[in-house]
Amino acid sequence: MKLVIDESRCKGCNLCVLVCPYGIFQEGTELNTRGVVVPVLDRPERCTNCRLQHLYGRVLCGLCHMICPDQAISWVEEKPFEPHRVEVEF
Amino acid sequence: MIAPDWLREDRLPHIYCTGCGNGSVINCTLAAVEEMGWKRDETAFISGIGCSSRAPGYILTDSLHTTHGRALAFATGVKMAKPDVNVVVFTGDGDLAAIGGNHFIHACRRNVDMTVICMNNQIYGMTGGQGSPTTPTGAFSTTTPYGASEPAFDLAELAVAAGANYVARWTSYHVKELTKAITTGMQTPGLAFIEVRTQCPTNFGRHNKLRSIPDMIEYLRGNAMLRAKYDRLVEEGADIPEGTFTVGELVRRRRPAMGVKQ
Ligand SMILES: Cc1ncc(C[n+]2csc(CCOP(=O)(O)OP(=O)(O)O)c2C)c(N)n1
Ligand code: SF4
Ligand code: SF4
Ligand code: SF4
Ligand SMILES: [Mg+2]
Repeated sequence: MKLVIDESRCKGCNLCVLVCPYGIFQEGTELNTRGVVVPVLDRPERCTNCRLQHLYGRVLCGLCHMICPDQAISWVEEKPFEPHRVEVEF
Repeated sequence: MIAPDWLREDRLPHIYCTGCGNGSVINCTLAAVEEMGWKRDETAFISGIGCSSRAPGYILTDSLHTTHGRALAFATGVKMAKPDVNVVVFTGDGDLAAIGGNHFIHACRRNVDMTVICMNNQIYGMTGGQGSPTTPTGAFSTTTPYGASEPAFDLAELAVAAGANYVARWTSYHVKELTKAITTGMQTPGLAFIEVRTQCPTNFGRHNKLRSIPDMIEYLRGNAMLRAKYDRLVEEGADIPEGTFTVGELVRRRRPAMGVKQ
């Protein structure tokens, strides 16, 4: 799963920045076309829900999603990663 | 987005200011409604006038956006005519406790089977920041430029005293606890009253040096005290900091109720 912010709704309140235990939301710096500074995502793949929702079959953590007063945060499905062979060279 | 099936997405983004707590309360309520497994055509959202009372306008069910202070009177009517409908009322501190004060105590006394969610931002938000019956002593507003000199109403205690079957209080920061409280309220027959202390950075914050959203959240979080801890401190005779309010479940009981679904 992938975390997304709907820029057409976000008003830049940064409540998500306040609540995420991993600090995934970081205060943004650039105005978008609506004149809102939308937070930026820092390595969103660390989000508990992105990693484990499918395994548990329910929303995990979900604090940002719940507190976002503008209903701007959601998760979208993404294609599973291709398995890669990792070779470690010493 | 929580409960996409219940939101009128075409009406979003809503009118609330940046960082207003009302939007989070809508999320928690819809999460509770989903948990209850209610159907959209068997649920009605009812409100009076105010920022808080705009909430039903964003929800995809039958709703009544009524006159200022009268949400509970209309809701009682709906419940009496159609007891099978699940009734949820959104109201504000001004709507509920000032102009609608009498409807509030009598709805609690009658214990009409509905869920009343009061977004208490301690101010008249919509009309530009006049003091309300819940504006704390000393707080500034456009009608209390030297600080409010009157004591404030404790809405949750008022509902307990007036007879509601379920009463809880949380803040718009405590989203998980709030959702749970709303769900329990919906499950309890009779009137369930949930007071939510919400942030209004625009009108309460601006006059009280809490203009920034994190400051407003800290004000709510820092002054909230679990009821058990509060009771313990009172028993020990310890000092309780000024501005503290209790959070948690205040009452759950089985007084006779009106309009309960058969
Ligand atoms: C009969 C009547 N009196 C006064 C008003 C003006 N009025 C509109 S909203 C409001 C106060 C709302 O305060 P509250 O219920 O706390 O809602 P908030 O905006 O803070 O969420 C008032 C006095 C009105 N619309 N109707
Ligand atoms: S669900 Fe929790 S961990 Fe994931 S982004 Fe939101 S707040 Fe952070
Ligand atoms: S909580 Fe929602 S509206 Fe506020 S900054 Fe985050 S995504 Fe935007
Ligand atoms: S005035 Fe206050 S209560 Fe009304 S929308 Fe703005 S922040 Fe929310
Ligand atoms: Mg108010």
